[in-house]
Amino acid sequence: MPFPEEIKQRIEAAIPGAHAEVEDYTGGGDHFRATVTAEAFAGRSRIEQHRLVYEIFGAEIGGPIHALSLKTQSPQQTPTQ
Amino acid sequence: MSSSEPSTIRDLPMSASQPSAVGEAPIPSGESNPIREAITQALGEHKVILFMKGTPEAPACGFSARTVAALQSLDVPFAAVDVLPDPRIRQELSAISNWPTIPQLFANGELVGGCDIVTEMYESGELAEALL
Repeated sequence: MPFPEEIKQRIEAAIPGAHAEVEDYTGGGDHFRATVTAEAFAGRSRIEQHRLVYEIFGAEIGGPIHALSLKTQSPQQTPTQ
Repeated sequence: MSSSEPSTIRDLPMSASQPSAVGEAPIPSGESNPIREAITQALGEHKVILFMKGTPEAPACGFSARTVAALQSLDVPFAAVDVLPDPRIRQELSAISNWPTIPQLFANGELVGGCDIVTEMYESGELAEALL
């Protein structure tokens, strides 16, 4: 079962300089919400930013990870909320 | 809109239409792929189209429900396809869009995003413009 800390570490390992905050928002170990800040997102569209994160997990998205809700931003951006 | 043979649309369980009657066998790559062709055709024929779990009237997932709500509050007409009746719809859609999750909103044949992006764009006011 994936845990928020594991997901955070995998995001931060895969995207250099990334900072991720991950929560399990149902407590069931399969629905996660991540806010990811990374220099790699600068100049990329939201879709490209989210793809960079989704690609880390491949087929786990929709499998053991039922949902990974994302908010992504580059360090220069203020969070869009 | 193509004037000839719009009939492959019926291979997809469009909202308020009958469920598809396709079988279970996987489709080998390189051969005729009616589901992929139907998706591609639907993307070409509908300016705004949402692939979701359930229907706009009865969403089967909170993310799909939220995306429908954003579209409805903008009063944007949209087509909806339920991906649940056949798992291959989702497989083929994700292969086309390079996007792993459902829902997926398309405008003018291009992926706008999933629930998170659609919600963000709705809240920032960008969504209406993206659907023009």
